[in-house]
Amino acid sequence: MTDRSLFEAQVLPHLDAAYNLARWLTRNPHDAEDVVQEACVRALRYLASLREGGARAWFLTIVRHASYDWIERHRDRDGGDGVVEIAADAESEPAQIAERRGDSRALAQAIAALELPFREVIVLRELEELSYKEIASVAAIPIGTVMSRLARARALLRQSPVLHAIAPRRNGGGR
Amino acid sequence: MSERGVSMNCAEAAAVLGAWCDGELAGDAAAALDAHVAGCAACRAEQAALVALRDQIRAQAPRHVAPPALRARIDAELGRAFAGARADAPAAPTTIAAQAKEAVLARVRTWTRDRQRWFAAGAFAGAMLAVVVGALTGVVARHWGGDDVAVAAVESHVAATLGGHAIMVASSDRHQVKPWLSARLDYAAPVPELADSPFVLAGARVDRLGGRPVATLVYHYRLHVIDVFVRPLADAGDAPALTMVRGFTVARTTGAGMEWRAVADVEPPVLAAFVEQIAQTAAAQSPAGR
Repeated sequence: MTDRSLFEAQVLPHLDAAYNLARWLTRNPHDAEDVVQEACVRALRYLASLREGGARAWFLTIVRHASYDWIERHRDRDGGDGVVEIAADAESEPAQIAERRGDSRALAQAIAALELPFREVIVLRELEELSYKEIASVAAIPIGTVMSRLARARALLRQSPVLHAIAPRRNGGGR
Repeated sequence: MSERGVSMNCAEAAAVLGAWCDGELAGDAAAALDAHVAGCAACRAEQAALVALRDQIRAQAPRHVAPPALRARIDAELGRAFAGARADAPAAPTTIAAQAKEAVLARVRTWTRDRQRWFAAGAFAGAMLAVVVGALTGVVARHWGGDDVAVAAVESHVAATLGGHAIMVASSDRHQVKPWLSARLDYAAPVPELADSPFVLAGARVDRLGGRPVATLVYHYRLHVIDVFVRPLADAGDAPALTMVRGFTVARTTGAGMEWRAVADVEPPVLAAFVEQIAQTAAAQSPAGR
């Protein structure tokens, strides 16, 4: 198998996961695209280090590195934990789901407001459904730290004022 | 979290509730937690709250899908990186068949390696190989004169992709796409989502086909965009399973009371297997999943 077909068969199926992670870490759609492109360039360069069966975690590790590099470079621009951009994906937003989107946006804001170490474990766990072992590998932390960060992230989300606004409408939700 | 797992107090239970919620708690500890939670209302409430939060995040937090522009950029990047290598220009039929076979075998290898919980892998691989054999023996129809719908589908695919209006509702969640379509059509088009597959639902739009509005589901597959036109069987005549129109593949099948036509610049065997799989998934999902 050539490098190109290896990349296309093993890495590209995880492009959505890569973009999703970059998007949540950078909190900006355009920067997420730049980060994923950069991650692809790196992935091609280090393709030899890809081991069988672990393509997704391997690629997400690279995406995470690229995201952190980007965040480091642009720290000044955002003023640290600055603007949180939650852009709607489609302008032609169907009216039927607008109500649902209200909740959805509040939740997205609550997650986006989490500090990076907590945000990334929540995204990797709940949206990408990675195991503790995979999260530990992607985020380069011990499994015990994965557990404690997840617990802290969930506690923060449950205290989040934006989520509290919608919690009373769901059974057993917020507190 | 004692090894014996006989008893557990509230503090110990609190320490492992998260792991339980994430499906990461092993036998003994899980049994001990179950026993404790059964007798402790406070921990039971905490457990329910964690489950509710998890379900809420999974149901509502957006999982962003890579936009087509990004796919194009990466395609260009690959082109640059492999500029020396043989370009994958339209090849002679024998080469297409060889490439298709290689692609299928590669995919089968990848998938079986990647995931054991891939329940459909065997059936899917079988279907793909069957289609490959078909393609190799020249069953693929070219220039099917009578199949105007295939031509119309390809034109719609090209126009939408070039015009950048390929997706009117962007979502990888079929529970968002389905109601959007239902509100715009006089029939309920199934929206199959394929778990653990490289074919990812990206959204949908409404097109006109044969003079009537039809549901067009948009999937991403690697760097390709696949349009799937879904309409009631009653509106559709008979047509070949595979057609080539202006270099695009049109793969057709039926299932769940619908005609399914997939259009993309994807190798015929791959597209044929994909359209079979979504029709089968729709048939499996529609009675219960409504």
